[in-house]
Amino acid sequence: METTVNNELNQHVKGVSLWQDAWRRLRKNKMAMFGLYTIIFYAVISLSAPILPIYSYKQQVLGHQFLRPSFKPAGQLIYEKKSKFLHAMAAKEGRTELTAKENQELADLKESLATEKKKLLSGEEVLVNNRVYILGTDSLGRDLLSRIIYGGQVSIMIGLIGALASMLIGVVLGALSGYIGGRFDTLMMRFVDIMYSLPYILLVIIFMAIFGRNIANLFFALAIVSWLTVARVVRGQVLSLKNSEFIEAARSSGAGTARIVFRHLIPNTSGVIIVYTTLRVPAFIMLEAFLSFLGLGVQAPFASWGVLIQDGVYAMTTYPWLLWFPAAAMTLFLFSMNFLGDGLRDALDPQSKNKL
Amino acid sequence: MKKFLFAFLIVAVAFSAFANGGKENAAPAAASEPVVFNYNNGTEPQSLDPAEIQGVPEHNVYMSLFEGLVTYNPETLAAEPGLAKSWEVSDDGLTWTFHLRKANWSDGTPITAQTVVDSWLRFLSPETAAVYAYLPGMIIDGAADYNAGKTGPESVAIKAVDDYTFQFKLNGPAPYALGMLSHYAFAVVPLHVIEKFGSKWTRPENIVTNGPYKLVEWQPHDKIVMEKNPSYWDAASVKLDKLVFYPIEDENTALNMYKQGDLDWIETVPDAQLDSMKLDPTYHVNAAFITYYYEFNTTKAPFDNADVRKALSMSINRQELVDKVTRGGQFPAFGLTPPLANYPAVVAFKEDAAKAKELLAKAGYPNGQGFPKTTILYNTSEGHKKIAEYVQQKWKEVLNIDVTIENQEWATYLDNRQHQNFDVARAGWQGDYVDPNTFLTDLLYSTAGNNDGRYSNPEYDKLLDKAATMPDGKARMDVLRQAEEIAIGQDMAVIPFYYYTRSNWIDTNKWGGWYTNILDVHPFKNIYKK
Repeated sequence: METTVNNELNQHVKGVSLWQDAWRRLRKNKMAMFGLYTIIFYAVISLSAPILPIYSYKQQVLGHQFLRPSFKPAGQLIYEKKSKFLHAMAAKEGRTELTAKENQELADLKESLATEKKKLLSGEEVLVNNRVYILGTDSLGRDLLSRIIYGGQVSIMIGLIGALASMLIGVVLGALSGYIGGRFDTLMMRFVDIMYSLPYILLVIIFMAIFGRNIANLFFALAIVSWLTVARVVRGQVLSLKNSEFIEAARSSGAGTARIVFRHLIPNTSGVIIVYTTLRVPAFIMLEAFLSFLGLGVQAPFASWGVLIQDGVYAMTTYPWLLWFPAAAMTLFLFSMNFLGDGLRDALDPQSKNKL
Repeated sequence: MKKFLFAFLIVAVAFSAFANGGKENAAPAAASEPVVFNYNNGTEPQSLDPAEIQGVPEHNVYMSLFEGLVTYNPETLAAEPGLAKSWEVSDDGLTWTFHLRKANWSDGTPITAQTVVDSWLRFLSPETAAVYAYLPGMIIDGAADYNAGKTGPESVAIKAVDDYTFQFKLNGPAPYALGMLSHYAFAVVPLHVIEKFGSKWTRPENIVTNGPYKLVEWQPHDKIVMEKNPSYWDAASVKLDKLVFYPIEDENTALNMYKQGDLDWIETVPDAQLDSMKLDPTYHVNAAFITYYYEFNTTKAPFDNADVRKALSMSINRQELVDKVTRGGQFPAFGLTPPLANYPAVVAFKEDAAKAKELLAKAGYPNGQGFPKTTILYNTSEGHKKIAEYVQQKWKEVLNIDVTIENQEWATYLDNRQHQNFDVARAGWQGDYVDPNTFLTDLLYSTAGNNDGRYSNPEYDKLLDKAATMPDGKARMDVLRQAEEIAIGQDMAVIPFYYYTRSNWIDTNKWGGWYTNILDVHPFKNIYKK
């Protein structure tokens, strides 16, 4: 049933819920919408990766290493590379022309490139030098485009799951702690203090060492050490809200603890929570990259953006695309995430209701 | 306004700093300027005490600061007179007599034959617990027993005949004994200083040395500065005034410093730079006495089964690995010992994908079905990771088995290897002296300390024991060859991948006295500016 109200001029107005209101305001924020669409684009690409017409992310084609980004087939690039190399060698020896032997070598190469077949991991046999690598290849001849897409899958998943899990735990515990107060609050906060005092990287490492290294354990390990700050922030918000008039009103009309916490307090802290969560996503992606560097993150042949960038750094001066593309993909995503978080904060802030 | 002034001040200070830096670098080399050689030692040395070291970076420092009875010829690695000016050996090849020169420590204390005896005993003492104590233990009569704590120091067959004559007795005619003596396991150390300062004797303010250079400054994680030692007996032929070792671990940084002329010699470049740096005119490459291999934990199923080990080894395409993955001109290895002049490489097996599948099926895993969860362990490094990923794909392709790869930091990795806490682990071994023994005995003899895979075959041990009592010559090499055929061809105790090459970047038009050689040992004593 639609509730209808009349305003002070006795005109008919439709009731607007918090979320409708927020959505209306979010839509007006261009940067936030840009962020939202970009994130949706990333999500669609990541989810549909298995059906996209891209090569396998773990197929190594030795001989196709360090090919530059190009729409030309691999064979042609290899031929150009070899020819350039021979010319450089000739120049080093002070010749301007290639020797007959070198020319023959080039001709042979062209011939063999055109006919070379290779059986792929999937079992099919293909003319391997017809493959096209739009974003180039890495040090083992793997397609960078598909590695970025599959790496994005892993990174985004780690970011989202980590942030959501830490948010859920943190919000519930923080809100209860703040609202109930007393001994529960003291115990809870001392526990948080203790967790804070432990170096969280060490906790993650110990956790992974005990339960084994796989992606699920990585998610879990990250979630259990990262809810602390959320809990603190939410508790602070709840403390400042719990004596306000609307809570008094709810309490005097007989609402229970659960209803007050989940229905009144948490929605009123949602601005802080959402901003904090969207900011945590990049932090998680960074953390995963760091753990991968220590050898505790995703293990080969899986990749994540962090791993790809790590690999790219080594090749920075000679094969810069190995750094550029993964870094660009990651940066764009992190920017979008921050724009969206910022927009959501504005949209959900009850105090800013009458602006815009 | 205040803020503005402050910002201006900062900018001004920064600029003046830059300007100063620029001036320093641009200063023209004066004729009398000391000759400085800058080298990237790759990491911070563990220690300067010869009894506490085990790596190449430490060896570089040792070679510069200390000198044993003999030293390396920089070109041939043959033993050259060091502290000993001459030596002779008895007819049975067991008793060696060294005549020492009248040399002093850098504080003026004379070095006598007794110093040598005491130094060696200190190294062998069970209390010192030197990693390399097995080297003298292997050849010198009674040394192993003393090192193991079974007997006292008097049982070690070394003695000072008079102040400047030193003698030791071997436990067998080890033909490689003289070559081994340049190693720091036979170092001579300033015992009077060690007694006085205890473990602090290696500090720059305490240390006393007898080598071509003396320690001037040691700033951990920054640099080690050495200067020519004027009291060195052969000081006239030491041409460098100053030697600076940097502990730079990042290959990119080191390469940039080399390109700018801040380093005079580097040994590695980042993998991605390899192709372009191979065209550099200062590039030198040579075969090295090093093998890259994977160890099996033979105490654990399924790697206790030789068929499984063979299947895994035969499925690799080594030529492709060295051509396409490592790309350093390495040589595919089908045996453990790199080729020597009197010991051509053993070809113990052939690569054969079909045979590999067959062997795996025979071992009970047809088409990889039911193969246990396996992890390849390697120490964190770009290069090792690439090889592990290549092997991972190859085993999947040929044998249809899935393996995971796992990297660990160096110390953890070593620890796990030593405690058989692995399935398959990456390993590399550089010979300590030029003889197949340094591979065959040190790595696969059933009780050898470095036999991390716990390979054990009595027949193999028996052959090595036999070779240890034989004089140098073809007959001995044949026995060693036979042993290697058993360990690799019959048992595939490890998977050999390739024999290393060593790359170096040094401008030999500018620096002389530096030669490529199989152990990749380059004594700093001999380097000079052309």
